[in-house]
Amino acid sequence: MVEDWLVATLARGLAFAAPLLFAALGELVAERSGVINLGVEGMMILGALMAFVVADASASPWLGVLAAAGVGALAALLHAFFAVTLRANQYVSGLALTMVGLGLSGLFGRAYAGKPLAHPLPKWDVPLLKELPWIGPGVFEGQSALLYLGLLLALGLSVFLHQTRPGIHLRSVGENPAAADALGVNVYLVRYLAVVFGGAMAGVAGAYLSVAYRPSWTEGMTAGMGWIALAIVIFAAWEPLRAVLAAFLFGAFYHLAYRFQGVLPPEFLKMTPYLFTILFLVLSALGKSVRLGAPEALGRPYVRGER
Amino acid sequence: MRKVWIAVLAVLGALAFGQQELKAGWLYVGPIGDYGWTHAHDVGRREAAAAFPWLKTIYVENVPEGQAGSYIDQMVRQGVKVIFATSFGYMDAVLEAAKRYPDVIFAHATGFKRAPNVATYMADFYQVFYLNGLMAGALTKTGKVGYVAAFPIPELKRHINAFTLGVRAANPKAKVLVRWIYEWYNPAAAKEATEALIAEGADVFAFTEDSPTVVQVAAEKGFPSFSHYSPMLKFAPDHVVSGQLVHWGVIYKDFLAKVYAGLYTPKNLEDVDYWWLLPQGAVELGADFGVPINPKFAGRLKAKAVNHPIFGEINVYDLVMKLHGLMKDVELAFDPFQGPIKDRRGILRVPEGLRLTKHQLETMEWAVEGVVGPWPNEPKK
Repeated sequence: MVEDWLVATLARGLAFAAPLLFAALGELVAERSGVINLGVEGMMILGALMAFVVADASASPWLGVLAAAGVGALAALLHAFFAVTLRANQYVSGLALTMVGLGLSGLFGRAYAGKPLAHPLPKWDVPLLKELPWIGPGVFEGQSALLYLGLLLALGLSVFLHQTRPGIHLRSVGENPAAADALGVNVYLVRYLAVVFGGAMAGVAGAYLSVAYRPSWTEGMTAGMGWIALAIVIFAAWEPLRAVLAAFLFGAFYHLAYRFQGVLPPEFLKMTPYLFTILFLVLSALGKSVRLGAPEALGRPYVRGER
Repeated sequence: MRKVWIAVLAVLGALAFGQQELKAGWLYVGPIGDYGWTHAHDVGRREAAAAFPWLKTIYVENVPEGQAGSYIDQMVRQGVKVIFATSFGYMDAVLEAAKRYPDVIFAHATGFKRAPNVATYMADFYQVFYLNGLMAGALTKTGKVGYVAAFPIPELKRHINAFTLGVRAANPKAKVLVRWIYEWYNPAAAKEATEALIAEGADVFAFTEDSPTVVQVAAEKGFPSFSHYSPMLKFAPDHVVSGQLVHWGVIYKDFLAKVYAGLYTPKNLEDVDYWWLLPQGAVELGADFGVPINPKFAGRLKAKAVNHPIFGEINVYDLVMKLHGLMKDVELAFDPFQGPIKDRRGILRVPEGLRLTKHQLETMEWAVEGVVGPWPNEPKK
């Protein structure tokens, strides 16, 4: 009985976490460079549609994922142009991106509504590891390969941000662009790259929804997940590994909210994923040297020579 | 027969009004691409537009329930004479607008407030849900049928109750586990609710949510399910047993033909309330149009025998077909809410020999025996 609950919670928590994780990791990198992009939801849904269309036409779901990353990156490039080059208000530009993404995907996706996908992303059981008790069926069985890529990406990003020179450049651009500039870092280029990377990951997050999690296209299918990803970046205090934890906690409580419906009022359970994720992360940060603040220069356009 | 009438009315209308054009507008609460509620209304709109050369149609998607009034203003300014408001939440906005525009005809789906120029209409599924319940009861091996539901409102409670009565008629010990997602459309929530029900041991699934998610998740695990609103057989050809389908076009054509012929005017709609069921063809039993029961399940349904008060020893497949025939008849020789029916607290809700009135059906808050799970606003008396 306990094992059932544990395995199901682990498995469902991770399956639900995967799209949040990709979108959050992408946004985290963008924000670390000092650019906030509220267009996550829009880039995600464009990715979801693009992945479905390409996977449907080519019979290759992986090609769909790639195309989704491409369309997400393209959309983010637009945001980067406004936010970095034109120094427009980043919040407005991002919100516009979300609205445009939702609108465009609705318009172009009409022909694909109600169409099943013949070749979704296959589930992938990890050999050997799936034999482990509890963890095996909970983590390494019946999950999409994209989930493992997401976990590896978080690990890689954590190392990148803290252990490598380009990672330190990225962080310095987000904290103090003038100082980074003085040291010879190309602030604009770093910000462009970070924002475009963020868009590509949001696209992959959308692809997960339309070719793996629920292989089909329906308008508005991201249903607010992009906003949750934005919140996760904050809960995670801009740390990739904490983003894994935050996304997983959110997914696990999301699952448990339905398991407990027989016992607790559903209206209360509806808010538990948000509540407990924040609570848990705050408590886990107590007494440790986890910095909870945002990057210093977040949301502020950089103008060379101005302070 | 109805088709003939519509044709006659249309011709009469054309004669009376010459080549006059009628402009009708639809307010949609969601996107047409939802493949659920709004999609189905739009299919109906297009059917009507194709049927009547004198009809011009326009529509607006994603109209927030609080802002319906200003969208109605816009439509009227564009010369729309008949407005279909397709969400329960538009009710008050429609009634206010009806006072502002006494010459415009309004029809409000799922509502219950009318006025001289406001009619109401609904294509209800409760009969179809009963038939699907019979099949679900025959197919469950664990005795647990999962139901993913949107909101705990009377409409869904009526449907879940009818479904559960069907389940228990085929399998008296079976239970229907209900999970609410509090959204009409949220694929992720529907997916996780289904997964939770699977973890609880449910092995047959039905739902009220505007996407094929539940069908897809159940099929992944090899479990049978029932499609909702739009045909979903193609999402899992081996696993969708049947389902409920809607034909809003039947109502739209009837209504518009009568408006065009001058039978419906902005002064006589106070008592016009379409409550259309199987006999009128507004709803259909099936996983796809024309497929009442997926042939792949015929064997399993024929293998399950029940002792029925009317038909005696009979298999579930034949029982579904027989009751389907009875409920399609305008005489309504059978109704799912036929007394005696007790609720799950043991209170007698439908006395022996009686049925429920339309008003009682529309305001149903209690839960029948066999429903397991939270049930907000469950009456204690």
